[in-house]
Amino acid sequence: MSDAGAPVVEVRELAKSFGAHTVLESVSMELRRGETVVVLGGSGEGKSVFLKHINGLLRPDHGTVTVLGFAVSGADEDDLVGLRRRVSYIFQHGALFDSLTVGENVAFPMRENTALDDDEIAGRVASLLERVGLSGTESLAPAELSGGMRKRVALARGLALEPEVILYDEPTAGLDPVTGLAITALIGEVTRATAATSLVVTHDIAVAAKLAERIAFLSRGRFVFTGTVAEAAREEGEVGRFVRAGGFHA
Amino acid sequence: MPPSYTRGPRATPGGGPARAARGSGCYHLRVSVFGRLYDLTWRRLRHLGGVTLLGRGVTGRLVTPPFDVREIVRQLEAMGVRSTNLASVIALFTGMVLALQTAYTLAAFGAKLYIGEVVGMSLVRELGPVLTALMVGGRVGSGITAELGSMTVSEQVEAMRSLGADPLRKLVVPRMWALLIGLPLLVVLADVAGIIGGLFISTWELGLTPGFYFSHVLRLLHFGDFLSGIGKSVFFAFAIGLIASYNGLSATGGADGVGKATTDTVVAVSIAVLVLDFFLTKLFLVL
Repeated sequence: MSDAGAPVVEVRELAKSFGAHTVLESVSMELRRGETVVVLGGSGEGKSVFLKHINGLLRPDHGTVTVLGFAVSGADEDDLVGLRRRVSYIFQHGALFDSLTVGENVAFPMRENTALDDDEIAGRVASLLERVGLSGTESLAPAELSGGMRKRVALARGLALEPEVILYDEPTAGLDPVTGLAITALIGEVTRATAATSLVVTHDIAVAAKLAERIAFLSRGRFVFTGTVAEAAREEGEVGRFVRAGGFHA
Repeated sequence: MPPSYTRGPRATPGGGPARAARGSGCYHLRVSVFGRLYDLTWRRLRHLGGVTLLGRGVTGRLVTPPFDVREIVRQLEAMGVRSTNLASVIALFTGMVLALQTAYTLAAFGAKLYIGEVVGMSLVRELGPVLTALMVGGRVGSGITAELGSMTVSEQVEAMRSLGADPLRKLVVPRMWALLIGLPLLVVLADVAGIIGGLFISTWELGLTPGFYFSHVLRLLHFGDFLSGIGKSVFFAFAIGLIASYNGLSATGGADGVGKATTDTVVAVSIAVLVLDFFLTKLFLVL
């Protein structure tokens, strides 16, 4: 549940271009602690670009990004390491390390950022994999996993450091509807259990309807709508058409 | 008629539509050629700048802990140990061909007994390090680019950053150390294999005894000659590692982009080794 404290994520007039192509023109957003916000928009509108600014994977051309009181936009790579322990990013296709097993993938952030010994890490890996419904898969290679399993492992890896903010990039992209619903339900459970602040980028209305306390609709480099999914469905024009085309009717 | 300073086809006295069209074609060809040259120069400069910046970032990390010794050993096995056959076979046959050609040429002066000196000096100072760097650099460099490139386009490198790890320290530094240790060792192996290749030809074709051949190989060779060859290989290893890593980490566009980056690495590594060899030879001759 949201509270009325200071924003956990604060984005002000963010702009980003790649060469002559402007992706984000002027984007502003605030997230309160424990809140779940879904960024909706069509393909190529810059949703993932927006998300990558939140933990400093991309640098803005203009504007500021502040996360957990830390100025991300002005920080260098070494300064960002501390923040990234508290902000987890779940990649669209999992981005699991091919050369490591499932267990090693989940253990990776703990090995890099904590002083836990091998036994403690193994115990936490087993517990995290159980939480995402993949007990006993530690020794499998990422290549042996289905798309849904890869996303579950990525989620387990993302939870390893008990983050305060979780960023989800297209969590159901490339999955069949049943697996997509299962992943959405899992994200909902994780959000409730961890009380983490969540920012989800997707074009999947089912995800927004299930998870979002609030949605923001990104179009032509700006947020053109902010509100609930039901309010969006009642909108005329682009936002309403997008939400209704996704199968949600107010 | 005053000359025209506007872009596009210039009207000429008596020039009909056909001449104007030809003029337009020439203009566009000029623009296209200069545009491509500008584009190529800009891309090369950007590439050089990127490799230099990567070099700055990697150099500090190469000499400061923590060191992932297990990963360095794994890379050394993958790059160095698995390149021993390639390096030794190439050096063996290079030594044999060098001995044959030298014997043929020196025979004209009645000096084919000096074959050991020529083979030894050529291999240790020049051919051993350069050929090994070209062959191993192509094999290992393309492998590094392909591996890092596929990690980059599948967002694994970004995932590493987002998990609080340093991709340069995790991915580039172990490969650089493996090259910096492995390539000089392979050059020593190539020197030995090449000299043995010369021995085969000297004994089978020229009827020299092995003792006579080796005494002549060692007669002119000094420790400094070995050091010069090994020293070159350290610079070659650094260049190969940086070029290959930079191309991998800057790959874009999926499998196609990784393929192009890999090809670029083979070309850039070959050019870099030969250009570096010239300057290092000059430098070592002065020192």
